[in-house]
Amino acid sequence: MLNWIARDRVATLLLVTIAVLLAVGAAAPGFLAPSTATMIWSNGLVLMLIALGVFPVILTRNIDVSGGSVLGLSAVTLGLSLNAGFAMPVAIALTLGAGLAAGAVNGVLVAVLGVPSIVATLGTLGLFRGVMLIATGGEWIEELPETLKALGAKSIGGLSVMGLCTMVVIVAVWAFLRARRGRWVMVVGDNRAAARHLGLPVKRIEFLAFVWGGGMAALAGITFAAQIGFVPNQAGTGIELRAIAALVLGGISLLGGVGTVAGVVIGVIFFTSIDTALVFLKIPAYWNDLIGGAMLLTVLLIDGRLRIALEARDRAARYHRGEAPTPQSKTLEDAA
Amino acid sequence: MKPTLAELVSVSKNYGPVAVLKGVDFSVRKGEVHALLGGNGAGKSTLMKILAGLVPATGGQVQIGGAALSPATPAQAQAMGLYLVPQEAHIFPNQSVLENVCIGLPQAASAYRSRVKDLIARMGVTLRLETKAATLEIADRQIVEILRGLIRDAKVLILDEPTSALTPHEVDTLFTRMKSLRESGHGLVFISHKLHELRAVSDRITVLRDGFVVHSAEMAQSTDAEILAAMSPGVTALNDRVEGKIVSEEKVLQLSHLSGEGFVDISLEVHRGEVLGLTGVVGAGRTELAETLVGLRPRSGGEVLLEGRPFHATKPSDAVKQGIVHLSEDRQQYGLFLEAPLYWNTSSFVYHRLPFFLRPGREQTRFETYRKSLGIKCASADQPVNSLSGGNQQKVLLSKCLAAEPKLLILDEPTRGVDVGARNDIYRIIEDLAAAGTSVIVISSDFDEVVRLSDRIAVMAGGHLAGELPAGASTDAIGQLAFESKETTHA
Ligand SMILES: Nc1ncnc2c1ncn2[C@@H]1O[C@H](COP(=O)(O)OP(=O)(O)OP(=O)(O)O)[C@@H](O)[C@H]1O
Ligand SMILES: [Mg+2]
Repeated sequence: MLNWIARDRVATLLLVTIAVLLAVGAAAPGFLAPSTATMIWSNGLVLMLIALGVFPVILTRNIDVSGGSVLGLSAVTLGLSLNAGFAMPVAIALTLGAGLAAGAVNGVLVAVLGVPSIVATLGTLGLFRGVMLIATGGEWIEELPETLKALGAKSIGGLSVMGLCTMVVIVAVWAFLRARRGRWVMVVGDNRAAARHLGLPVKRIEFLAFVWGGGMAALAGITFAAQIGFVPNQAGTGIELRAIAALVLGGISLLGGVGTVAGVVIGVIFFTSIDTALVFLKIPAYWNDLIGGAMLLTVLLIDGRLRIALEARDRAARYHRGEAPTPQSKTLEDAA
Repeated sequence: MKPTLAELVSVSKNYGPVAVLKGVDFSVRKGEVHALLGGNGAGKSTLMKILAGLVPATGGQVQIGGAALSPATPAQAQAMGLYLVPQEAHIFPNQSVLENVCIGLPQAASAYRSRVKDLIARMGVTLRLETKAATLEIADRQIVEILRGLIRDAKVLILDEPTSALTPHEVDTLFTRMKSLRESGHGLVFISHKLHELRAVSDRITVLRDGFVVHSAEMAQSTDAEILAAMSPGVTALNDRVEGKIVSEEKVLQLSHLSGEGFVDISLEVHRGEVLGLTGVVGAGRTELAETLVGLRPRSGGEVLLEGRPFHATKPSDAVKQGIVHLSEDRQQYGLFLEAPLYWNTSSFVYHRLPFFLRPGREQTRFETYRKSLGIKCASADQPVNSLSGGNQQKVLLSKCLAAEPKLLILDEPTRGVDVGARNDIYRIIEDLAAAGTSVIVISSDFDEVVRLSDRIAVMAGGHLAGELPAGASTDAIGQLAFESKETTHA
């Protein structure tokens, strides 16, 4: 158990999440039901997709704060093209194209032109939002067709189409990071100079991470539009910061090179659970931020303390003479 | 003549206004080990980085296997069969040793597990494949770098000071590997500051000075004197030890039964103005002892007296304030602020003594004095440390310790990667310090160096104090203590 916690923060977080859910369940009977689980899942979908998009970018030791704007831009692309009479598949393809293109802009700025990622994506955060507003003329897009809303509604086994898509993405990212090339993404963030030295296409990896981030934000945009049925001007504002907070909570290091998909998933679920629980406990919505922030700090503190204690234990074990691995025996001739 | 595998034709390189290489020709043939020698900052690493596509040349041609290296990237150089093991180990701290070695190979790491294991066994080292690389000591990091080179099976393998952190045993096994690579038709380049190492494996030697090739011949036809004269005119060999030094009776530092991480029950004394050599093989607990003394690691038992008063540093600043200064063996990780200007680094132990508003002028003057006395080769005091050559970085590290004007100076591998001339200078500085009353503990794996410097020699093995020897003891006697007692403790 302790070893399990030692391996990553995911374990601590999982335990805290379960504890919080049980506590809420005790206070508000009826909370602990399968329907709550599907509700948390579907409430968290948009955040999950954005987080999955930023994840590889952070692994390469960059950051992408333009996710919310790309979400908005994609949702608008979807809404406008559907309302212009394009068929659903065509509209979705256009939306994904818009997201990927936005990601590619970020990628070119960072990987090719060498702009620091925080600067580049802060710039595009405003830029993409601006493009979106110009495209809509500042109007909301309403009256989206039912076929789109169906993507966000429960269909198969209590899950929506977008919910299933997200699951597929999670499994795909998990599998990718276990593959040889997936490892490349992690090591670029771990030591860029070493990765370059070993012949990895560092710039291409960084570029593709941003493109992936754009693509995921487009999926998030589709989910967003499908779930609420219209596209407001402020669609997605601020979500990138929530996604980054969820990632940090899930043990993904902002210094790059460290993180697991399980961490992403649990981090997002933790955030969404708290929001959902607050609704159940009938606590006014304006408490959300305060409670969410406090929980974030609590988990990080508990985890930090645990980690220090475990490290001390490991060190003590490592330096316990006698148990240490036997050094190779060396002979006198070697010394001479 | 054997066919040429890689070639540099009148290559030049400028960093801004500074010309580092001025029309250098260099080649590696099939089945040879080509030694590359030169003082610190002569341009050896730069030359090899150009060959490996890591740094673009300002002029000249780079050819690998008869074809021009284009585009000039490390990926391309590797695809053409050339790999460079760099001077400073670049590791991925959050990956396992196995991943560290195998990243960038055409298959997943698990496919190479048995081969890496085999190489490690043949190198005669203990290194667990699952260990997270962040926890590795500097010697093991260097081994990881060497393994990367060996597993890639490149036709041309360049080793930039691979032996600087290794013990004699590991150096020997590395040489065996190098020789078998040569037999199988590979071409190797070997950089080292130790002439006897170069002699042991090399067929040809090229000496670089100030960006020019000043000597290039068969190894067998070059005498030591010739090579040294080419490298640094004026220096012929290492100065000998001054005999007959009388050490004061006054004890500066007394350790009694000190235990901590990686060592137990160490009792030692250091007198005023004495140079104590602390030696042993890697992993003997020397570095841990030093780091515990200055408060970098927790102490688990025993006592320390500094000038007769109990001394217990819980953090390094305690030690610095009371006059104990420690030079880390790992200059890149713990020693230097790599992105900061040189003179900031020199002042970094004395920031608590500087005025509220800094006076950069004075700090630069301070740096200037050390630049002269240590012979640091740099363009300006404002340069970041990571733009210096490895040996010059080491000198900046030393200057930072000297600036603190300590009572007791602990030097962990002070001459790692330092050229012969500068080694002489550093020895002279240590002797001058001792003569002025500073006590010095020199930790070194180089037994010759320990004998050369020490007034008394303490040998550690397996975390214990294996014994003490007087000044001028033979390296054999040291070796006996360092290796033999280890076997008895394990018996
Ligand atoms: N990035 C850089 N910017 C400016 N100058 C540099 C840079 N890299 C190297 N130099 C300079 O080039 C010169 C040659 O450096 P190089 O590392 O090739 O020396 P070296 O022969 O390998 O020395 P050593 O034996 O100390 O490793 C040095 O004077 C160094 O200051
Ligand atoms: Mg060098």
